[in-house]
Amino acid sequence: MFSKVKHIHALTNIRRERILSSDGYVIVRRMQKVTPTDVIVAAPLSTKYLLLEIAQGLNVTPARADELLQRQAGDELSPGDVIAGPVGLFKRVIRAPFSGQVRIAGEGKVLFEIASQPFELQAGMEGTVTNIIPDRGAIIETRGALIQGVWGNGKITYGVIQPVSNNLNQELVAEQINIGFRGAILAAGYCNNSEVLEIAGNTPIKGLILGSISSDLIPAAQSMKYPIMVIDGFGSTPMNSAAEGILIANKDKNIALNAQVYEPFLGKYPELIISQPNQPEPDLPIESETLSSGKKVIIVNGPQAPQIGIIDYIHPRKQRLSNGIETRTAEVSYGHDKQAAIPLSNVEILME
Amino acid sequence: MDINTVPAKSLITLDIGNTVTRALFFDVVSGKYRFLASASAPTTAGSPLFDVTEGAWRAIEELQHITRRTFLSEKEGLIIPSTRDNQGFDIMVATMSAGNPMSVVTVGLLDNVSLLNAKYLAHTTYSEIVAEISLNDRRTASDRINMLTEKRPDLIIITGGTNKGASKSLLSILESIGLSSYLLEESQRPHILYAGNDELQEEVKSGLEKISKLRIAPNIQPVLGKEDIYPAQNQLNEIYKDIRKRQIGGIREVLSWTEGNFTSSASALGRVIRFLSEKYEPEKGVMGVDIGSYATIIAAASSGEETLRVFPGLGVGSGCTGVLKEGSLEDITRWLPLKLAKQDILDYIYNKSVYPASLPTESEHLEIEIALAKQALRIASKKTIPSLHKRSTTFSSLMPPIEPIIGSGRILTQAPTRSQSLSILLDGIQPTGVTTLALDQNGLLPGLGAASDINPLLTVQVIESNTFLNLGTIIAPIGYARPGTPILRIQVNREDGRNFTREIKFGALTALPIELGEKVSLHLRPLHRFDVGMGGPGKSGKVNAVGGSLGIIIDARGRPLHFFQDQEKNWKRNETWIKTLLKYE
Repeated sequence: MFSKVKHIHALTNIRRERILSSDGYVIVRRMQKVTPTDVIVAAPLSTKYLLLEIAQGLNVTPARADELLQRQAGDELSPGDVIAGPVGLFKRVIRAPFSGQVRIAGEGKVLFEIASQPFELQAGMEGTVTNIIPDRGAIIETRGALIQGVWGNGKITYGVIQPVSNNLNQELVAEQINIGFRGAILAAGYCNNSEVLEIAGNTPIKGLILGSISSDLIPAAQSMKYPIMVIDGFGSTPMNSAAEGILIANKDKNIALNAQVYEPFLGKYPELIISQPNQPEPDLPIESETLSSGKKVIIVNGPQAPQIGIIDYIHPRKQRLSNGIETRTAEVSYGHDKQAAIPLSNVEILME
Repeated sequence: MDINTVPAKSLITLDIGNTVTRALFFDVVSGKYRFLASASAPTTAGSPLFDVTEGAWRAIEELQHITRRTFLSEKEGLIIPSTRDNQGFDIMVATMSAGNPMSVVTVGLLDNVSLLNAKYLAHTTYSEIVAEISLNDRRTASDRINMLTEKRPDLIIITGGTNKGASKSLLSILESIGLSSYLLEESQRPHILYAGNDELQEEVKSGLEKISKLRIAPNIQPVLGKEDIYPAQNQLNEIYKDIRKRQIGGIREVLSWTEGNFTSSASALGRVIRFLSEKYEPEKGVMGVDIGSYATIIAAASSGEETLRVFPGLGVGSGCTGVLKEGSLEDITRWLPLKLAKQDILDYIYNKSVYPASLPTESEHLEIEIALAKQALRIASKKTIPSLHKRSTTFSSLMPPIEPIIGSGRILTQAPTRSQSLSILLDGIQPTGVTTLALDQNGLLPGLGAASDINPLLTVQVIESNTFLNLGTIIAPIGYARPGTPILRIQVNREDGRNFTREIKFGALTALPIELGEKVSLHLRPLHRFDVGMGGPGKSGKVNAVGGSLGIIIDARGRPLHFFQDQEKNWKRNETWIKTLLKYE
């Protein structure tokens, strides 16, 4: 049986596509070095349109209105510029209400695009632009540490990582958040108190990385202005040891935290990247692997989650779990000399 | 029809679900088509592979291992057709439910007529309605254009106007749709399905064909009071294929393997249920329910009329948080047979949503998943009931009598006990009158539906080979009484003469010890004007029944099921009901 790979790497090659869903202006060039806040591509994403009823406004037939048009598709206008007219005793005209562009004109109507501020898509990570995707964005590559999570509140930031203590297996409590963490990205075991999230926001911290979070805090976490990423899941479980090790080893280093919403069908995972461009070049991470003896895995469901273990043996036939379910299982050694039969569907391969 | 009169062809069906891809193998054994084996592998539609063929390939490899027959060759890929040395297979069909739902904007004239039709049509597939446009809508043309360019829907369904009816109002809405499509880049332009006033078809074509991916179906409502949704539903299925082809890697290959015999799993379920209804007793109807990881589907057909409802985001895996969003946590916990901490239940549900393929390892977690399945099915059933009633009656809010009801989905087939499978269906659907609950234990329904078009004989013969497990005959009287009041006398006449009588009290769940497959005659005599489906309240009658895995179940708990405010009482009562069913397991 093949399995998904959980990406928690101390050093790997990272390649990310940063693109818009519609055409824009790519600002970077190939082989350019970028920082997380550099703009890759800009586009007027929230364009608004106005359908102007020229014939109705001038009180003429659509055919006559077309004769009175002073502008055509593509014309850029400033507020007050005349679009059509004059007509009649009072020299009635139709003027542009905003600055913008005529998109379509005819049959007594004008479709007018209102000029808007462009949306700017930032790099979100340090790296080198290795490819340009015309009109849409770019591919950025770097090498460094990568940790992917399962939940994010949709926000993104860049800053210094500060683990709250030397082990991330405990609950984050209000007393731990002090002024020394101002402007830092905090890493902690788990959180089950919304006040703690508030206090962290007021400090203010720049971001928060948790092993797990109590699920009833989801609305509060979504409303926080800073990014929050959850690595392992929901509840009060400590952070898995592989992620914990990387975060502690990289204390005080700059990290790019992209707490984007988890969308597996679109390949979007919340993730953090710690760029280490001077390290020797590693391989690109493997995306899927077959489960077999000796493989390192992370347990994702059940009382052992999110512990990391080694597959000792895969049972060739289905086994009956204590709740009666029959499924293929593996004997997994984890923790200090513990072993358990874990359903194959409850493990993901861990590539460190 | 005998197999000797048609060329025998072996068949593999692929069902590409949100978490699991299943491959089923059918071939001729002793002159009849039989289901021979099934295998599965994780679906690879999403990250990291973004290509469904990888999961399909792995499932077929597993199928080779199980059947000891070669289906794949390293050089040529799939071995189609089968060879003289019994390698390969002849036909492949595929169904799919994987992927995010299609975003849909529905357009109609009147909210209660054509807009309802558009919404009904959208609900027959995996879709999420992101906006609606109708005459009652006060937005200006500019607002509509802005809404459409901002939402960028995958599909716009336009209905409205009977033939020779309204046209001007619909044309003004079409102008906004046309302009917004023009403004979007070509790759982002929506598919448009027009199923409104037939007389506007030419104008729709000339206005929209060049700037959108347009499909036209006959008017859903050609005259007031008459609806024909099937042609539009077929077009919708074609659009589903087009959209999935664009969104999900590997679909083009699957289409070539299957020579286009590829459909949505929901559509295939609807097709097989309609097929069953036409083939057997049309007036009794047939219902199929599928409780999936991301979506729940209900398909019902009676006398050739089909009802199909897809509920994306309402499942027991990636869709399980949708069950919470549709109600409260208490709606789920009321189905539990034991007390569990609220926070633990919530955390389990959210964890399951991010690891949908994972399995519960603890009994408590299994109970949470069963409760989720019951509630998902309950929500889906309640929303489907209005379209199942041909006319309004006193019991219009209840499930009308339909027999049989077939359940499918991993939560049902992987449940450790048959009583768990039965209780999910019984509590979720809450059937009335006399019916049979059956289990699609091998997950054949979508595959048989997809196969029914190209090889109906295979579908018939596989169904006739006892492929569904009879869980039990259900007798569910409806009416009102105090708990403990006798409401039904039932006399069971067995072929060997070991007859017996039972008096059933309101509020009780009773299992009659009838062996699996044993045929009995039941004389039902309702009391206090209870209705057991014998022609009206208080009417007695005889019915022939067959014992299922759990015998014959008399569900006198009332409809709809009543719950206590005090959850402790619910948990205790659920435990009693489980024990009742387990007695005959």
